[in-house]
Amino acid sequence: MKVLIIEDEPSLRNSIREYLEHQGFVCEVAADFREAIDKVTDYEYDCIVADIGLPFGSGLDVIRELKSLKSKAGIIIISAKDSLEDKLSGLELGADDYLTKPFHLSELNARINALLRRKNFDGNTSISFFEITVIPASKTVLVHDKSITLTGKEYQLLVYFIANQHRVVTKSALAGHLWGDAYDQAGSYDFIYTHIKNLRKKMMEAGGEDYIKTVYGTGYRFG
Amino acid sequence: MKLLTKTTLYFIIIMLPVFGAGAFFLFHKFNKEIKHETDEELANDQLQWLRYLDTASIDNPIFRFRTQEFQLIPTDQPVQRKFKLKGVTLYQETEDAQAPFRELSQVISIHGKHYQMILRKSMIEKDDLLKNIIYVMLLAFGGLLVFVVLSNWFISRNVWRPFYRTLDKIRHLQLNKMEARRFASTPTHEFNQLNEALNQMTDRIHQDYINMKELTEDAAHEMQTPLAIAQSKLELLLQDENLSEDQLKNIGQTSEELQRLSRLNHNLLLLAKIENQQYPVTEQPDLHLVLIQYLSLFEELIREKELTVATNLVASAPWPLHPALADILVSNLLGNAIKYNYPTGRIHITLTEKTFTISNTSNLPEIPAANVFQRFRKSNQGYSNSNGLGLAIVKKIGETYHIQITYQYLNGLHIFTASC
Repeated sequence: MKVLIIEDEPSLRNSIREYLEHQGFVCEVAADFREAIDKVTDYEYDCIVADIGLPFGSGLDVIRELKSLKSKAGIIIISAKDSLEDKLSGLELGADDYLTKPFHLSELNARINALLRRKNFDGNTSISFFEITVIPASKTVLVHDKSITLTGKEYQLLVYFIANQHRVVTKSALAGHLWGDAYDQAGSYDFIYTHIKNLRKKMMEAGGEDYIKTVYGTGYRFG
Repeated sequence: MKLLTKTTLYFIIIMLPVFGAGAFFLFHKFNKEIKHETDEELANDQLQWLRYLDTASIDNPIFRFRTQEFQLIPTDQPVQRKFKLKGVTLYQETEDAQAPFRELSQVISIHGKHYQMILRKSMIEKDDLLKNIIYVMLLAFGGLLVFVVLSNWFISRNVWRPFYRTLDKIRHLQLNKMEARRFASTPTHEFNQLNEALNQMTDRIHQDYINMKELTEDAAHEMQTPLAIAQSKLELLLQDENLSEDQLKNIGQTSEELQRLSRLNHNLLLLAKIENQQYPVTEQPDLHLVLIQYLSLFEELIREKELTVATNLVASAPWPLHPALADILVSNLLGNAIKYNYPTGRIHITLTEKTFTISNTSNLPEIPAANVFQRFRKSNQGYSNSNGLGLAIVKKIGETYHIQITYQYLNGLHIFTASC
């Protein structure tokens, strides 16, 4: 899977690239508007991660260009401007998702994964991790080909974990993924632990291995 | 005291002695004039009498008249060359009162005989004169007073109208709506100057306010990128398998604090945007649905704390609010009711078409009314996840979209009510 990262901040660009490459993506980068336009016209990408505020132009114009090229690439906007108009005009232009800076790399990765699944297979594909199989279309989870029943949140957690396999995922990233902006209100992350405990229990009861490792004081690692 | 009352009062105070002095001067002047006239008449009368007596005394009779007005009495006193004039008061039998008279007296000689001649004229008009003058003066003064009050009333209604209009505008001036406020020019030079000065002042204040706001917004925006970089670096650092537990914990805590900083930043930006009315009311989201959505979103929090939630919700409550703000309003209030509750506590939620009330039990005491909606005013020590902006945002939404937000503490319940 090929991803183009359009971001003018070199540090952030490199972080995203490093994280995504580790998760198995082939990444290319563009540091400004011209470079971005050159790359999208010359190459095909599966997914494009675009900042809106760029030197020499706007990320929104890159999206316009992509649409005029009839590109099939999924588009995720990452913007420092948490403004509604940007979000709406971005989505209206044909962007598929919108993330406000600062964001968790694990969240960006999960969104790219979900987007690519939607785009490339119309959701008709399964995600596998050893004995675990997730069928997104029906939200079914199989362990050793045996179906297990998960709550909505447990299912979301599992998909998130598989997308970010082998990586440490922080509790706040998990909370943000499950509850969005409202996780501000939570007061503590204790309740995440309950979900993880239940998920772990259900998978182990079905004969699965315990893939969820607690990383001391920070979060969890899957696999 | 109103300016007009004051000027009227001063006017009266100044006019009173002026009118008094005028009355005194008039009386004095008229009095002198009357005396002078009477004296002239007396002298004239005497001349006539002398002529008459001169012709009437051919037979050399001895005259003896004694009336109030005219006396001619023989005397041994020597002849006086000039007559004497003076004022006297005499008893009037008919009126049983003393009356003022002018008197002319002279010892004259008629054919060798000496007579004391006295001529008198009544000055009874003098009293009437004083009465008349006082009467006229009082009439003039009263008339003037009525005129002054009436004209002041008229002036206050007309001339001062631009002033009161300006005053009313100043009273309703709001920092964020200053731009639209113009103090119109008036036909009065002084008010024009005032309005011009006010226009300049509001422009300057508004400009300063805009600059301040832009600074806040820009600063918040500019902070997002470094925050994003720092956070991404920490997330990558976490992936290092050689980290010790202590190092992991430190990174985790740093990352947590960064999260807090970005939430704070996010909320400050949100406050600024609500104030800028960047959330137009284009639709009317159903608060019932929003509430149901957040109740299910917070389900595990409620279950974790074993809270009892009692709801009394109307089937549909469309509120004139941007959907994003409806979400924030509900999630902030509901989130607080959960966060500050004690385990096995209670939450009551009532939703009607126009009001949304949420009350909760809590170990926290009543929040002082002055602090409840203030930024960064945290009565909740030990809830480190709070940034002290939740209620300030709710209040700001209320202020900007004409929704009344109130807080009450009753029977151990913290009650928040939003009504549109």
